[in-house]
Amino acid sequence: MQSLSRWAAMALLSLLPMLGMAKPIAFAKGTTVMAEYGAGTMNEVQLFYAPRYWYSAGGGWLELTSEDGSKQRHVTYLRGNLLVKRWNLPGAQANVFAWGGLGRATGNDFDASTLARNVGVQADYETRRVYGAFRSDLQESDRYSHRIDTLQLGWAPYKHEYDTLATWFVVQGRHYTGDLFDGTETALLVRFFKRGAWVEVGTTTDGKLQAMAMFTLTGLFI
Amino acid sequence: MNRFKFLLAALLLGASPFAMAKTIEMDVNGLVCGFCAQGIEKTLKGLPATEGVFVNLEHHLVAVKLKDGADIDDAALRKALKDSGYTVVAIHRTEHSLDEIRQQVKRGD
Repeated sequence: MQSLSRWAAMALLSLLPMLGMAKPIAFAKGTTVMAEYGAGTMNEVQLFYAPRYWYSAGGGWLELTSEDGSKQRHVTYLRGNLLVKRWNLPGAQANVFAWGGLGRATGNDFDASTLARNVGVQADYETRRVYGAFRSDLQESDRYSHRIDTLQLGWAPYKHEYDTLATWFVVQGRHYTGDLFDGTETALLVRFFKRGAWVEVGTTTDGKLQAMAMFTLTGLFI
Repeated sequence: MNRFKFLLAALLLGASPFAMAKTIEMDVNGLVCGFCAQGIEKTLKGLPATEGVFVNLEHHLVAVKLKDGADIDDAALRKALKDSGYTVVAIHRTEHSLDEIRQQVKRGD
């Protein structure tokens, strides 16, 4: 029974969202809408509004389903994102972001709903040809606790312009720690963006497809 | 007759491209991502004196075409860029149109 629970936990964690490493705040007075699909076993939608360029607030909904469909979790949350520090350099930018949120989590592997807590931090550096980001995200409730550390390294085959399509190839390493599962996985992604539209498609080394789309809109769209 | 000449001269002076700067060019640090730089365009287009905006990542350039007879002072420009999350390094005014600036950066001048 214990091994079955462990297997179920590992299966669920393997389906956790491959969250894109886009900046959690796009621009002042802009709304960011993000939708993510992960191998038919994960769906997530987020919406954030940024009153200023250094903070945003919003919420999201996350659904996780085990591969055999027997286990499912839903988390609905509110979250705030803060740009802690930005370095604007000639031809480069570096940022440190932090965020925190609260929500409700339900699941068919535990009774009733439980308070879900989330904190995280991201540091990134980018030029128009190279990109590096590290992100650490802690998800907790009385029913589960785990941390996901993600490192992304990106390379652009050409320098994009403001009104032209940007193309990036990204290698991602992700390490899971916590009381449920410890492990590392690698993914290869291709990312396109132009103006307010961002699309990312890739696969993990074990063949799981992942995709993400994000759009930034001017003004408040809630 | 003198009054007519004065009015004609005033009109010609007003119509001259050298009477007032048409465009403001800014050298901006941190311009690396078109996705993120949208905020700059949005903020500057919101200023009443702005007729058009051109952003070029290669040259770290943000150019603002001014409406006829209008201007934006340096402090307001710096604040607009700072409020967008970027750092202005230099500001200068030019008689070139946005199209001319586009052609210049395309040629790599």
